[in-house]
Amino acid sequence: MDRLIPGLRWAGIAGLILLAGVVGAQKESANGTTMNVPGAMPNVHVVSPLANGQWTMPAGDYGNLRYSPLSQINTTNVQNLRVVANMTDGIPHGHEGGPLVVGSTLYMVTPFPNNLYAFDLSKPHFLLKWEYQPHPDIASQGVACCDVVNRGASYADGKIIYALLDNHVVAVDAQTGHEAWRTQVGDIHFGETTTMAPIVVKNLVYVGNSGGELGVRGKLTGLDVKTGKVQWIAWSTGSDQDVRIGSDFKPFYAHEKQGKDQGIKSWTPGQWKIGGGTIWGWISYDPELNLIYYGTGNPGPWNPDMRPGDNKWTVTIFARDADTGMVKWAWQLGPHDEWDYDEIMENILVDMPWKGQMRKLLIHPGRSGFMYVVDRQSGELLSASTYEPTNWATGYDLNTGQPIEVKEKETHFGKYSTDICPSSTGAKDFIPSSFSPRTGLVYIPAHNTCMDYMGTAVNYIAGTPYLGASVRMYPGQGGYQGELVAWDVAQGKKVWSVKEPDLPVYSGVLSTGGDLVFYGTMDGWFRALDAHSGKVLWQFKTPSGIVGNPVTFTGPDGKQYVAIYSGVGGWMGATALPDVSTDDPYAALGVVGAMKKIKTLSPPGDLLYAFGL
Amino acid sequence: MKSISVLVCAGSLLVWAAGCHRSSNSNSVAVNGPAITSNPVGPVPGGVQDIQYPTNPYMQDPVALQDGRRLFDWYNCSGCHGGHAGGGMGPSLRDPVWIYGNRDDQIFDTIAHGRSKGMPSWGSKIPEQQIWELVAYIKSMGTPEEPDPPVEPAHEQMPNPQQEEKPSVATQPPAAETH
Ligand code: HEC
Repeated sequence: MDRLIPGLRWAGIAGLILLAGVVGAQKESANGTTMNVPGAMPNVHVVSPLANGQWTMPAGDYGNLRYSPLSQINTTNVQNLRVVANMTDGIPHGHEGGPLVVGSTLYMVTPFPNNLYAFDLSKPHFLLKWEYQPHPDIASQGVACCDVVNRGASYADGKIIYALLDNHVVAVDAQTGHEAWRTQVGDIHFGETTTMAPIVVKNLVYVGNSGGELGVRGKLTGLDVKTGKVQWIAWSTGSDQDVRIGSDFKPFYAHEKQGKDQGIKSWTPGQWKIGGGTIWGWISYDPELNLIYYGTGNPGPWNPDMRPGDNKWTVTIFARDADTGMVKWAWQLGPHDEWDYDEIMENILVDMPWKGQMRKLLIHPGRSGFMYVVDRQSGELLSASTYEPTNWATGYDLNTGQPIEVKEKETHFGKYSTDICPSSTGAKDFIPSSFSPRTGLVYIPAHNTCMDYMGTAVNYIAGTPYLGASVRMYPGQGGYQGELVAWDVAQGKKVWSVKEPDLPVYSGVLSTGGDLVFYGTMDGWFRALDAHSGKVLWQFKTPSGIVGNPVTFTGPDGKQYVAIYSGVGGWMGATALPDVSTDDPYAALGVVGAMKKIKTLSPPGDLLYAFGL
Repeated sequence: MKSISVLVCAGSLLVWAAGCHRSSNSNSVAVNGPAITSNPVGPVPGGVQDIQYPTNPYMQDPVALQDGRRLFDWYNCSGCHGGHAGGGMGPSLRDPVWIYGNRDDQIFDTIAHGRSKGMPSWGSKIPEQQIWELVAYIKSMGTPEEPDPPVEPAHEQMPNPQQEEKPSVATQPPAAETH
């Protein structure tokens, strides 16, 4: 590991810390990661080391804070930020996710065909070191529901590990660019793809599948980091054995304890086999509890009348043993989902006072419009308040963990239910929020879109969409479609926001020790806000809409940099691509009605930008 | 507020554009099964002069158009191509751009045999007559004959005053709103 970048003072140390994992006594390294958060609010504690110079996993840290204590770039000098490098990959599709930085190398995974580029940060303009081309099956492009995206990679065991669109996980030697192993974890002929960013804990790589719109049965696969061998598979539906529910299973709510094999019994016979619950978002890890956390996607098909029952364990947050994958607790946020509210969103892990008591929190800004605060040890829901206009439910019953649904907003076969907020794309989608321990605020990239939704008949034909709904979306009321929301966790309310009139906010967020919040807009602005007040301190117009996640790192020159992709796409961004026409509001799974303006506001793009002082 | 030209680094920094390939064809999917229509591939040396391409027996047949519309949902075409074929996982079939050609027989071949970047081959699943009905429907899109054309949701017309007077963000960054 310390051979990775010879001559670099700190790369070796950082690598060692990574290897040692986060359970060890070491709490801090010179530059790679840190548990120390200068200026943190009283009693706000992070659960795993934060990105402090490097960026080695999708969120920067296992707790998914997307917060870095780096403060060289701060509120006093951010107006001097300028482009120090930009690179094009020639692939004008959605650039979701973000790059990694390990030692003095920056790694970028492209949308399909999922090439991996390594850039030398010690060279002016970050010169290309090598390129790796995995050549995934070109037919996989046709089963990717929402543009041919990739949400990023992880660094572990000297390798860059990521998933190809065609269901192969690859590990590439971080130094040489040579493939170390490649493992197949799914099959495009059954509608499966892999778009999420794997994470690595100890010797296991976790990767989930995508395809909730194609009758895919959701699953998380655990692979050996050294060999790529599959160690176990944890399904989202099916028998307790398949879901990896055993004697350790202690859910908080009675609703989740209705006897054996709920993953079969809460469905019409056989429907669970093609019932969704895919895992295409983010995974968090708490080293102390040794649990991983993630949410599952929507049940399929979208027509709810075709699948009476709770449809377990779709739209569920799972806490699993990080080694065995066995379920510790599960909580179904959306039993029998009727709106396509996947809950694969990020789960932010932080310890902080809650109603006068220290709690181990899991913060989940939901697609459903609710901000869920959960005790991550027990699975108890502590609070659920809305952060964007939401009318499918009036709230949650904290005693049962069940939503209090609104009758008129139920959806059914053969008739449009109208004015449902949020739309299927959610009050936010997979695009991840950030939490700053210095402000106690979660910065949420949010949307204000609503929809009409009708269940329709659908046939299951393997490898084709299994949709069963006709959906049309449109901007919600209030004159804005996007909003960067600053949410005070302790007080449970919005404190300020920055609104976008025409387009959703569809980029990830980064907060820093310089009290800055970085994010992008779908018309291409990359912004830095004051983390306390929300004042726009700096912005830069990139050529294409931003749907990626900003990262920050320290270069070999000791200077802080910020990097972001500019390349519109993804589900909501697909309307910007030439393959989608705007005269069909039902196109691209119903988003076109809400996204027409993007055709003129953002051309497709293919760039990675790095900024510095 | 300092605004920096996008082109600051153009040229010198497009370090590896040349080495990037948009996609690779090395894994192209084999097209199996016998051709349902057999077109000459010409021109060939001493080539065929007047090629007679098969034409659609159902063109402009309103019943066939309705059937084609229904089949477009029935076989999940709409899931990939959009409710009214405006695009999504597969390309828009409403726009003037045709990757594989828009002659009746070309569209027929696309549907029957599939195309490499993820268009399934339907020849073994859909009877020939129904494929022609699908072709008829696809070719009617955007014309007055199109059955069940897409309608805008009523809400689109909802007054949304602020939307029209969008300030140019370039000159005037949005202010944070406190709640
Ligand atoms: C699994 C997704 C999927 C399904 C289902 C699907 N298509 Fe396609 N279709 C595609 C993709 C992807 C392409 C582009 C293929 C390429 O570029 O190689 C395509 C291409 C096409 C084209 C050619 C467009 C052009 O520009 O030349 C036509 C016509 C077409 N499809 C019709 C249909 C019909 C009719 C059905 C239903 C019987 C259908 N498709 C079902 C994904 C799909």
